[in-house]
Amino acid sequence: MAAPTGEREVAESCVEWVSMEMVEAYCRRLHPTKPELAGRRIEAIGYQVGLQLAERYTKERPRFTDHLEAIKFICKDFWVEIFKKQVDNLKTNHRGVFVLQDNQFRWLTHISLDSPLYNGDRVTLETSLSNNAVMAARAAGQYLYFPCGLIRGALTNLGVPCDVSAEVANLPACSFIIRIKA
Amino acid sequence: MAAPGRMRCMYIFNRNGVCLHYHVWYRPLTTLSPQQDQKLMFGLLFSLRSFTVKMDPTSNNKGHLGVPQLPGQGCSFHAFTTNTYKLSLLETPSGIKIVLVTDPGMGDLREALRYIYSNIYVEYVIKNPLYVPGEHFRCELFNAALDQYVKTLK
Repeated sequence: MAAPTGEREVAESCVEWVSMEMVEAYCRRLHPTKPELAGRRIEAIGYQVGLQLAERYTKERPRFTDHLEAIKFICKDFWVEIFKKQVDNLKTNHRGVFVLQDNQFRWLTHISLDSPLYNGDRVTLETSLSNNAVMAARAAGQYLYFPCGLIRGALTNLGVPCDVSAEVANLPACSFIIRIKA
Repeated sequence: MAAPGRMRCMYIFNRNGVCLHYHVWYRPLTTLSPQQDQKLMFGLLFSLRSFTVKMDPTSNNKGHLGVPQLPGQGCSFHAFTTNTYKLSLLETPSGIKIVLVTDPGMGDLREALRYIYSNIYVEYVIKNPLYVPGEHFRCELFNAALDQYVKTLK
């Protein structure tokens, strides 16, 4: 369906469901016993997509002068195009490691676990709530392979070869760690 | 103790009669176990639906009493009121039935039910990758969003 500016758009629900199903397919049907392999496959898909997206979003811009400019592009324009917001926090150790923090990562906002049943004991309720948070954070890790690939593909195409990994502290906040290859 | 707010409870069923969610705000008297209560509710909705189709004065196409109707086919009732509560129903084409029991003074809840379905159920349950469709759920984000929305209903 063509938008008034001539751009074609896709419903966001489709993107969300395809990425959910991708994790389902790779992690549970195709490689249930090898989670790292499944993760690498999903990340490779993200890599290809990230390459193309970087081309598309930097069509009109001049080349980036250094690594920091490219990373800032990822944090601002790239993130806005895909996730409709900017990255909340960018940290670096000035030795080639950058940490992007998003406090409300769009693809993690719908994940939650069943709330524990309250049988009158406040203490066990609180421990099961925090256990839930830990388990949810662990399960959410699988849904971050694709975004890691996106970032790696985009940066590689912009001239910054790197490795990207992700960590979830508390849903829906997560951070992406970019290590630039010398 | 006065009822906080006007909501009493809510059920969500799928097309097979499985109760996917039961949410209670204020229910001072329950006489049955949860399973029996939910089965009774589903049976009531099923019978009421085929009864309303049979009694429809505008349509000639009446199935036999008791034959299950496809969601969307025939006429569908949306609420009944007694002197102590009002029960409102929304049935989606996918067979999901959302039942909301409130106090009798509540107005028409069709828009509210539609909001609950599309902005709360679909967002936090269907789009939740950790949810297995067809099973009972108690998702935290769903509960939180529902409680917050229900506070705005008058």
